[in-house]
Amino acid sequence: MSSDNKKWFSLNLNRKKKESSGTCGCGKTSGGCGSYSEHPQMTDEEFAEAAINASIGEERTKDGFDQVFDVKMDRRSAFKKLTASLLIGAGAVSTSCSVISGDESKEKAQIDWEEQFKGNYKLMDDDEKKGTVERLMRSYELRTGKNISMSSKNAEDDVLFGYAFNISKCQGYMDCVNACVEENNQDRNSQMQYIRIHEMKDGKGFNFNEADDNYYHEVPAEGHFYMGTQCFHCDNPPCVEVCPVQATWREDDGLVVVDYDWCVGCRYCMAACPYDGRRFNWSKPEVPETEINKNQHYLGNRMRKKGVVEKCTFCVQRSRAGKNPACVEACPTGARIFGNLLDPNSTIRWVLENKKVFRLKEDLGTEPKFWYFMD
Amino acid sequence: MMNRKNYIYILCCTCLFVLFSCRHGEGEYHGVTDRIEAESKNYHGTSISSEKYLEGIKTIEITEGEHTFLIPERKNQITSYACTECHSKPLTQMQGKDAKNAHWDIKLVHANKNTMNCITCHNPDNMDNLTSLTGNNIDFNNSYNLCNQCHTKQFKDWKGGAHGKRLAGWAPPRASMTCVNCHNPHKPHFESKWPERFNTETVKERE
Repeated sequence: MSSDNKKWFSLNLNRKKKESSGTCGCGKTSGGCGSYSEHPQMTDEEFAEAAINASIGEERTKDGFDQVFDVKMDRRSAFKKLTASLLIGAGAVSTSCSVISGDESKEKAQIDWEEQFKGNYKLMDDDEKKGTVERLMRSYELRTGKNISMSSKNAEDDVLFGYAFNISKCQGYMDCVNACVEENNQDRNSQMQYIRIHEMKDGKGFNFNEADDNYYHEVPAEGHFYMGTQCFHCDNPPCVEVCPVQATWREDDGLVVVDYDWCVGCRYCMAACPYDGRRFNWSKPEVPETEINKNQHYLGNRMRKKGVVEKCTFCVQRSRAGKNPACVEACPTGARIFGNLLDPNSTIRWVLENKKVFRLKEDLGTEPKFWYFMD
Repeated sequence: MMNRKNYIYILCCTCLFVLFSCRHGEGEYHGVTDRIEAESKNYHGTSISSEKYLEGIKTIEITEGEHTFLIPERKNQITSYACTECHSKPLTQMQGKDAKNAHWDIKLVHANKNTMNCITCHNPDNMDNLTSLTGNNIDFNNSYNLCNQCHTKQFKDWKGGAHGKRLAGWAPPRASMTCVNCHNPHKPHFESKWPERFNTETVKERE
């Protein structure tokens, strides 16, 4: 079956398979198997293929437009499908307009409807932002019976967030990674992590090819140093430039954010990012109800869905409220410094002006707002 | 004549094209450093404050050089302060077999024996204060003044904000932890330990 280059699959019922080495399907090499032609015996492989074919059919071999348009369909099934989709649509309308169904399901349908047709967050005015945030909070309440608080706080004037990382202080404890995962409701199943701590050999420079970012031994290890990477919130972000739907952009306070409801999951941004700063949700993110951080921001740690890109937001829900990002707060060695780059008296400015700082891949012109320094 | 007109036309077009193509939409600034410098010239402060996160933490304000900031109060954190509550008699009388053992859990792992012993920092005649190398009193709340006698580089970085950790948030007022909030003065180094997390999914992905 797999040897011929047919792009489709056909069950060879009542058809003799070409015999390649004198054996037939039942494994006998001589004498023939009488029952073969009436009851074709499938090997496991064939069975699996047939099963896949039955469930997803031609979608496997066709892609793009072909999947939708190049479908053999007679009038009858076309009408059938049209009627089905009409019924679904009518169902949605009738739930929201019906006098019989409960208020809650009506409200749910109404929220879903409005969420489905809302615009890009970047283009919303403050009332619209408040509206969508309220809908999302209400929707969560209707679905789970629990309350979350979600903010739509905008960037403040005279604020530009910046970050400094002290390479000589980091001991590789990974408290920051833990704090980040808990704060930002990252998928526990795929163990998504925004922060990577790279264990590098002394004397080899910043050699990311030989560095280990998933070590498990007592740290700090002899002859190694540690360096963390995450989204650097570039001032000239290439990920923003490539997004075909403008679902990611740089806010006025310098944070590069994603509208998870606008993202189409093309992952161009992941390809464009030279720092591996973005993560993709290959499956629906799962966080145990008890572990969900209910202090959320629309652009930050609210629950994501399958098929969208996410990334570090410098904990927008915390930083816009005056707090330090979770990683900064969790770091036991004080290797992480965060603050307002526009405030001449801020500690981050003192670091930039008094320590010898550098950034990763400065020659690319991405202008990251994440500096490294040493004691 | 026609040729010349065409030539000028093409030249103009080229000039315009070059003019516009020089701007790649990179914004007004050449880099983020220029942007910071330009935009912080008329910095007016923000409405964001970390004051509410400092509620319930007793702090004292200190001024060191050009830096003024808050540090947590120390005396109320020391369980057995004031020391004179026990140290009512001179030390020599308190040593010996009939006295209760105290501070048995403190072992000095800080510099070597030639450089330091107990009385480098503690004054046996005035237990409620620390003592400088020259014998001046240093308040327990300002214990950073004791540390900075040797650790001058760290002190400079700490004052500026490059060493140590912030209390509360990034927003003003600045409140920073002081030396003893992270370092045990009797054993100031950081212990080695196992990482907090190991990503088993990454291992699977890379197999």
